[in-house]
Amino acid sequence: MALRPFVQVDVFADRPGAGNPLAVVLEADGLDDAAMQAIARWTRLPETTFVFAPTRPGASYAIRMFSPKREVPFAGHPSVGTAHVVLEAGLAKPRNGLLLQEGIAGLLPLQVDAGDGGQRIAIRTPRARLLESVDAGDLRVAGALRWLPPGTLPPALMDGGRRWWVAEAADESSLRQATPDWDAIAALAAATESMGVLAFARCHGSDYQISARALVGGPAIFEDAASGAANATLAAWLALRDALPGDGGRYRVSQGREVGYDARLDMQVDADGEVWSGGRVVSVVRGTIDWP
Amino acid sequence: MPARRYLQLDVFACSAGAGNPLAVVFDAQDMDEAAMQRFANWTNLSETIFFLPPTTSAADYRIRIFTPAMELPFAGHPSVGAAWAALDAGLARDRDGRLVQECAAGLLPVRIARRDGISVPSVRSPRAQPRTVVAPDWLGAARIWGAPRGTLPPALWNNGPDWWLLELADEAAVRTLQPDLAAIAALPAGKLAVFAAADEGDAHLVVRAFAPGVGIAEDPATGSANASIATLLHQHGRLPGRDGRYLASQGRELGRDAQLELHIDVDGQAWVGGQVQAPLRGTLDW
Repeated sequence: MALRPFVQVDVFADRPGAGNPLAVVLEADGLDDAAMQAIARWTRLPETTFVFAPTRPGASYAIRMFSPKREVPFAGHPSVGTAHVVLEAGLAKPRNGLLLQEGIAGLLPLQVDAGDGGQRIAIRTPRARLLESVDAGDLRVAGALRWLPPGTLPPALMDGGRRWWVAEAADESSLRQATPDWDAIAALAAATESMGVLAFARCHGSDYQISARALVGGPAIFEDAASGAANATLAAWLALRDALPGDGGRYRVSQGREVGYDARLDMQVDADGEVWSGGRVVSVVRGTIDWP
Repeated sequence: MPARRYLQLDVFACSAGAGNPLAVVFDAQDMDEAAMQRFANWTNLSETIFFLPPTTSAADYRIRIFTPAMELPFAGHPSVGAAWAALDAGLARDRDGRLVQECAAGLLPVRIARRDGISVPSVRSPRAQPRTVVAPDWLGAARIWGAPRGTLPPALWNNGPDWWLLELADEAAVRTLQPDLAAIAALPAGKLAVFAAADEGDAHLVVRAFAPGVGIAEDPATGSANASIATLLHQHGRLPGRDGRYLASQGRELGRDAQLELHIDVDGQAWVGGQVQAPLRGTLDW
């Protein structure tokens, strides 16, 4: 019988249930790929991560992430949630406010900020690049976005490891009330080998400056509650167009309300143009997992 | 806010990961319905149950059952898991292998078998009956999606949920079946369970359950469909196993290996049960 520490957290959340759930298994040495995949299928959460002792110099810990179907090289919300669990368990300490996560995508730094109203953790995301931006007359893209009243910036295809179409809506209320055309989004995702559409709007008078909706067009079709990597591609796009909201390259995003959640993501584009994606994490379940 | 005891079980499973997961929240008396629904959505499991003090002395324990979308009056796999969890946590003690569960559907009898020191619960299914719906021609053809059909005619049964039940010729036909999910979704009820006698091994029957009509391509362990199949086989004098008891294998095609224990009692009522594993034990802050 092998008992390992298990924590189920809510990521990008000020309170339990607002964000994106994640399962974290600590002391994962000894679990093989098949066992990790079976556990990730069994938790049924978007991602389950496994924490190992680091093997590379300077790394705080090593991580592998699995969706219920396959191993994922990198994703934002599992990185942020896992760092919270590692800190809570006392397995690593930040050096100069940074943790260094070792994973398939390489060594990635995380900022740990004690901050007001609770600790915030942000991951530096892989650099996203612009693949193409299109004018509204482009039939392939316009057809897929007809349900969304357009904003100022043209739709653009960004690649940050996974590809996302970022599409501005006219305003917050039209974004929140829009009914996505799922067939069109799925067709666009397939045709451009992308995840789907991250639709966004600029916001005023709230605790956030951007509201976003992440519409995943395939293989599964769903609206994501809180998307760290997708929002990072949006931040890179806004920086590219010199259109970042907020102060000093920092802004907050509201996401997930349309699917019963209420997540907040803290985005930052730093002086070097690197994009940090983060937020608060709440531990919901703490216990042990017994998986032979 | 005090932390509540919390389990994630694996039901109809002889080992972790083989069956159908279930989230179990103890000490839920101060959670309101909205909080339960939110948590059941957050676990993302097919069902989450909440333990409450019973409202009648006739019940040993009380649960409420939620899917991510709604509350259910009754469901098989959550009830099997609930009985196991009530015993494991010391909330209830069976008398001669009997417990009474209170849930939204009322009082439900539960039986506990003891084997090799473990408790194996089974719950009585609502009585299954065929519906008077004529099967489409393609469902009654000699071959379906290339697989040879068995001898029983296809029929739509109901024991709460509706399931089309279709016998195939043998285990290989069930295990290798590649169904047309769009055709199943277009059936009345949109759900089809196929079954055949098992070739060898522990199980007597192999089962697969497809429910594209409710958004589930294939289910790994289905109490309701298995209980209806048991009743159908009983009515045709074809019950496998011994003394009205047999073992069904389901879910291997999905990488699981669920085992369901079926029993038709002297009154012709179907009971469904199985082993329960508790891979995850902890506390919940919600």
